[in-house]
Amino acid sequence: MTGAARAGAAGGRSPVAGTNRDRLVATVVVGRIAPVRLLGDPYVVTADGTPMVAVGAGGITPTVRVGMPAGGWAAEQVEPAVSLAHQDPDANRALCLYACVGNRVEVQDGDVDGAIGVVTGKHEQFQAFSHVLVDFPAAVLEGMGPGARFVVRAIGCGLAAAGAPSVVCHSLAPDLWEAWAPTVDDHRLLVRVAATCPPELVGMGAGRLGATTSLAIQTADRAALDAHQLTRVRLGDLVAIRDWDARFAMGHRPGALTVGVVATGTSRVLGQGMAVTVLLSCADGHLRTTKDRGANIAELLGIGVDAP
Amino acid sequence: MRCFAEVMHPQHRGQLGVDWRDRPVALPGMAGVCRNLRLGSPAFGWAVDHGEPGASVGSPDPLQHLAVQVLACVGNRVRVTGGRARGATGSVIGTHAFVLCDFAQEVLEQMAPGDAVVVEAEGQGLRLLDHPAVVLRNCSPSALDTLPTRSGAGRLEVGVRGVVPPQLMGAGLGMSSEWANCDVMLQDPAVRSAHGLQDLCIGDLVAMPDQDHRFGRGYRRGHVAVGVVVHALGPVPGHGIGVVTLLTGGSDHLGWWLTDRARIADAPALAAP
Repeated sequence: MTGAARAGAAGGRSPVAGTNRDRLVATVVVGRIAPVRLLGDPYVVTADGTPMVAVGAGGITPTVRVGMPAGGWAAEQVEPAVSLAHQDPDANRALCLYACVGNRVEVQDGDVDGAIGVVTGKHEQFQAFSHVLVDFPAAVLEGMGPGARFVVRAIGCGLAAAGAPSVVCHSLAPDLWEAWAPTVDDHRLLVRVAATCPPELVGMGAGRLGATTSLAIQTADRAALDAHQLTRVRLGDLVAIRDWDARFAMGHRPGALTVGVVATGTSRVLGQGMAVTVLLSCADGHLRTTKDRGANIAELLGIGVDAP
Repeated sequence: MRCFAEVMHPQHRGQLGVDWRDRPVALPGMAGVCRNLRLGSPAFGWAVDHGEPGASVGSPDPLQHLAVQVLACVGNRVRVTGGRARGATGSVIGTHAFVLCDFAQEVLEQMAPGDAVVVEAEGQGLRLLDHPAVVLRNCSPSALDTLPTRSGAGRLEVGVRGVVPPQLMGAGLGMSSEWANCDVMLQDPAVRSAHGLQDLCIGDLVAMPDQDHRFGRGYRRGHVAVGVVVHALGPVPGHGIGVVTLLTGGSDHLGWWLTDRARIADAPALAAP
């Protein structure tokens, strides 16, 4: 474990926790724009039993970016900016495992050849799709069309924190780690989060593998969201989920804690909600959080609404 | 509606799951015929993954399979039309990845994957005229007649053997309540005991407060769902025992009381002959 310890972004008070980043394998995986798909009937049924057209998944969505509110869109789990997938299901599973939040993505071919983006999350819809979500500068998004190949410089699988061995990292690029600047004290990893979700609000995603996918923070019960200050959550917010273990298959476990990034917008469908891509999970109390309303990957990585 | 189906063969991809104690596991449980895990059996304690009781039926054709999975309701009659047990009848006791059917012990001893069956599907669309705000799902008219119920002041109450808190609801949230079931994450014996759920059996009725299962399944304060335990525990986190929704509505209209009588295994109309 040789990770560089340097001054943290949060005021330079504590050094950033070291990692094994110099022992990670840097790989390259490829995706293409995930086509917007419709299975016949355009309607989904909301919690109140009313039909709505489920806009939001796949394709390019230039007007929705990390840093913007997760709620309020006339959409279902809207995916910000660019949605990637690989057409071969097994290769797509690998893309969704290897790609980490904070990884660089290079466009090859097409109208914006050479543009550079950043992975912002992963989103799975049951029996429908698994997407890797990527942000690009606004001008790139405007000019982007079909046909491009997206080369993901993937690094992050296997990331581990020096001094906090019971904390498991998923989908977490070393670049995001450095910007987020977790610290370690007494074998406990301390990270900043914008909000904390109670376990009863976790919806679809239970039983999935924490390393490759997303879980939903349910958003059909507005009063419950209000009670936990989850109504103002933004795309890209780093959020904690109490009593939730996402080290392997994801499930409820008293005393466990999971931290992830809000990858998509909210949902009006029962049991669905804003998709959270898991970044950290710990079953034994060695992962702690401090509240910071500004804990958002747009700000940390200078992307989305915070792009230069 | 008469649906044709067959006993489905178990399938495996050679992959291990990781159970709630972080151990790799490969266990039987789904599809095929389970001869000793049946309606009335304990839901916990088996070396099993999503232990489907009795015979698991479905169709090799995906759309036919989906149809019988959605249309079959708890309490429907099932007739064996092929194989050694041809002519025997049993009952639908729930749905999961397959339609779960209980038969008499001697029938189960004769059954095998590939046996043809006919499911007399009836129940989706059933309504309570005296309690229009209570919505029925997956409940046949014969099952409805056997449920322990009482009503007063416009509120329907159902007898249950346990109450599942919302933080234990797992895989199945976000999906249609007519399809499959919702897992309750009860791997940890300490969690089971803390909520008095350690003695649950296949066929027991449970209440799920703060759950709205009318159009999908999800968390909603002021709502409640009542369902029946249909499969034994899956040991992987996020999974658990399966509960099929039977009734759901606002807590002003639907409630429960705890009783040991809340077992469909004891209902003569549903128990295998």
